[in-house]
Amino acid sequence: MTTKILALRNVVRNPITALLKQPNIQNNGQNNLIQFSTSPLVYVNFFNKLPAEKLWKSVTSVSNAGAKKGRGKGAGRIRIRDLNRGQIIGVGKINMLWPGLSAPVIRGRELLKQQRLPDDPERMEKLIKLRDSMTRFRRLKLSPIERGWSGARMPGRSLGPPDPVADEEFVGFDTKVLQLRPLLIMKGTLGRTRNFQAMVVTGNGQGLAGFGIGKAKEAQAALRKAKNRAGKKLMHFDIYKNHTVYHDFFTAFGKTKIYVQKKNEGYGLMVHRAIKEICQAIGIKDLRAKVEGPSNLQHIVKAFFIGLLQQRTHQQLAEEKKLHLVEYRAENEYYPTVVASPSTVRTKEEIPKDETLDFKQYVMNDKVILQKKKFPRFYETMPHYELFLKKYEKYRNHEKIRLDLKVEYGEVKSFLNDKYPEEKNEQEA
Amino acid sequence: MPVPPASGTGRYYALAAKSIRLIRQGCTNRPFFHISVTQRKRLNSQPVIEQLGSYDPMPNMNNEKLVALNLERLKFWLGQGAHVTPPVAELLGLSGFFPIHPRSYMTAWRNRRAEKERLEKEETAQSTS
Amino acid sequence: MSLLKFARNNTKHVFNMHNDTQAIFISSRKLSLVPSFYDQENPAPKFFSSGVQTLLKRLTRPDFAKVFRKRANTNYPVLKTPIYKFLTDEELNVERENANKSADRLLQMPPAVKVNEPTNDVLSKDPALVGYDNSTYMFTDITFGIDNAHRIIVQRSPDGTLQSCDYETRKRLNQIYFPMQGRKLREPKVFSETEKFNSLLDREQYEYILDRACVQYEPDERKYQELTSITYQHLDMHSKFNLLRSTRHFGPMAFYLTWHKSIDRLMLELIQNGTVREAVLLVALRQAIHADLTNEDTCNTLVSQILPRPIQQTKPDVLSEEDIALDTKCTECVDTYINTNSTMKSQQALALQGFREYYQQMVDISRGLKKAHGNV
Repeated sequence: MTTKILALRNVVRNPITALLKQPNIQNNGQNNLIQFSTSPLVYVNFFNKLPAEKLWKSVTSVSNAGAKKGRGKGAGRIRIRDLNRGQIIGVGKINMLWPGLSAPVIRGRELLKQQRLPDDPERMEKLIKLRDSMTRFRRLKLSPIERGWSGARMPGRSLGPPDPVADEEFVGFDTKVLQLRPLLIMKGTLGRTRNFQAMVVTGNGQGLAGFGIGKAKEAQAALRKAKNRAGKKLMHFDIYKNHTVYHDFFTAFGKTKIYVQKKNEGYGLMVHRAIKEICQAIGIKDLRAKVEGPSNLQHIVKAFFIGLLQQRTHQQLAEEKKLHLVEYRAENEYYPTVVASPSTVRTKEEIPKDETLDFKQYVMNDKVILQKKKFPRFYETMPHYELFLKKYEKYRNHEKIRLDLKVEYGEVKSFLNDKYPEEKNEQEA
Repeated sequence: MPVPPASGTGRYYALAAKSIRLIRQGCTNRPFFHISVTQRKRLNSQPVIEQLGSYDPMPNMNNEKLVALNLERLKFWLGQGAHVTPPVAELLGLSGFFPIHPRSYMTAWRNRRAEKERLEKEETAQSTS
Repeated sequence: MSLLKFARNNTKHVFNMHNDTQAIFISSRKLSLVPSFYDQENPAPKFFSSGVQTLLKRLTRPDFAKVFRKRANTNYPVLKTPIYKFLTDEELNVERENANKSADRLLQMPPAVKVNEPTNDVLSKDPALVGYDNSTYMFTDITFGIDNAHRIIVQRSPDGTLQSCDYETRKRLNQIYFPMQGRKLREPKVFSETEKFNSLLDREQYEYILDRACVQYEPDERKYQELTSITYQHLDMHSKFNLLRSTRHFGPMAFYLTWHKSIDRLMLELIQNGTVREAVLLVALRQAIHADLTNEDTCNTLVSQILPRPIQQTKPDVLSEEDIALDTKCTECVDTYINTNSTMKSQQALALQGFREYYQQMVDISRGLKKAHGNV
């Protein structure tokens, strides 16, 4: 439509076609015959021969093969601008009041007439400025709540609950994208074809969660497939007091290893960002996990899920061991609370000599985590450090003293200062 | 050890000459002394053998000067033959552990005389004016 | 005049008997409480006697959930991960014993002792030292291993006299050189300003006040006894005994009330809650301290029967015949006490009657259940 208007405008702009009268023609031997000459009428000129799309394409065109190879996408490429932006019908270079078009016909009691309004000299400049601003590449701005792991990219962003199945809706479920990547494969007939692969985790924060992988030609379609697949593959996990796992564990998938440690309330999730999304989906709030080996995201996710499924509740552990499971908490003065008791309890004599009785060791399947040695900080071994400490002794406690004085007197002063007041008081006086 | 502890290293030569003296700590315009036993030839900035107490020469809010003395260890080092410098001897005399140092009597007498002279001067100044 | 007013007037009278130096001031709006001290007779021998100690411990009814609860004023800035262990039965019993010991430590009662007398003795007089300095020299002995109470702290004043310091200065200097965590050098405003103190009392923060007072003062100080006595009286007046149960302060509070013979509200509360056995223990405590009750023999025999049994935190569902027999004897004992020595007779009698009816119901239920189960 805009292209047609553009064409029309150019035609309308020059409504007058002239029969060009050529004065003073060279009279070469002929009598006073009135000579007429016709020149081609320019209703359609070069600029309104084609619609705007085609015009722009001619300037920015890249061949089909070139487009497939990714040409014409660099920093220097010209961007298509819509020249109609900033212009209204009825307003042009000559500022006229058109009743019926840009102004009402009757204003109050008055019948408006066509009249010429004062010119706006800056019109062209304004248009140019607008058109320049259109060329910048607009970054998709997301609020921090919507934002994922990085920028406007999908991983880390929420998708909403999976689509309802039959009559069942996924109430309280939220999905998070873990991975969205394009894959290229060579097909016999098509050549290079691009596919999107999406990995998504979905959960309701109450112990139900699942992950799904989907592939499609378009990113959105792949995400949708993954989301629905995740919704179909939900698993239930036991959570200890709604905030953490039951015990430490070690899992691996392929060469990716994860060491997971149970933590107390308020610790937070000190985990890989993918595991964090999974924990939030399940409802785990405090955990510490260390990923070792290759950090292939799909392996991490699968390893973590395997580990969670292989968890044993306290009651199960007690039954396996046939011993009481007792919990000691520092904030309760290490009072022994029996968390789980088996149906029959073994006595000391019944326990074989080499059995692992240490809870952590048993739960990690006799794996022991290396406690790394703490080495001195880089500055402590430098030559000047001793001298610095000796000098620092003088004012090491001054910060605390200042705080104490502020608490006691409201400012940094003491009864000694009152004996000999400083210049500030003199100024005030 | 990077910074030797002000409470003393505990290392000493058994036959060296030792003395119990005041080691000035604290900052500019704010002295604070540690009463410690060191080898006599050592400077005040070098590590001491053991700290036996402290003395704060600036009076506190209740107009008191606080002195702490570790009497048991003091007796030990005196037994080992450590000398005592005059300022420390004065303090110990005031506390009652030692007999009162003659210097304390002297400074008291001098202060009293100076005070008396000052009062007399004031009186004469007042009477003349 | 109603019986209630009569009773209230009588309790005021009871307080006055032991405070011969204090005047009564009671305004129409707020009842201001009069502090009382242990300054006539020394309560220490009676407080530390094993009989009284066991009775007080039983009366506190220690509930481990409250004793070992999460507190805000500990040294842990951050929570730590819980530790898990596999234990056999014997090991579990050993752990429970250790837990009992630490509970005992947490429930260690601040003692009730006589108020201390001010001491002053001059060691030497040296007028020749006049003019040496304008400030006093304070000498503290920082020898390792001496008790704070036995530390040598002397002062040389500007007029030359060497004397040992009084209690306040001794406490201050001990705090400077050997600070106790929680104790402040300057007296906290909570204790010095009555407004702040009263606002805490109105908010029922009895445990907080008593904990802080325990840290700040020694039990033989006048100020400590003043603060604790006001707190106990306020608590007694509003009958908020449950706030102090399972803490270390219930024992001294019960001792204080019994010492001043004002255990009636506590007795009432015990009967109303149906813990007749503890009421009997309270009677026995009264007997142990004052030895002026009539039914002492029955009391003591009952106590010896009650003490071996475990503490009842919640009301039992099924009663055995022994329990029933014991409880009936207890109610009789309490009845005699109410009739002879109590001042809130009517209320307590009413409460006891209510308890008797409730107890009869329980007895019927349990006997019926036993019959139904076939255990005659």
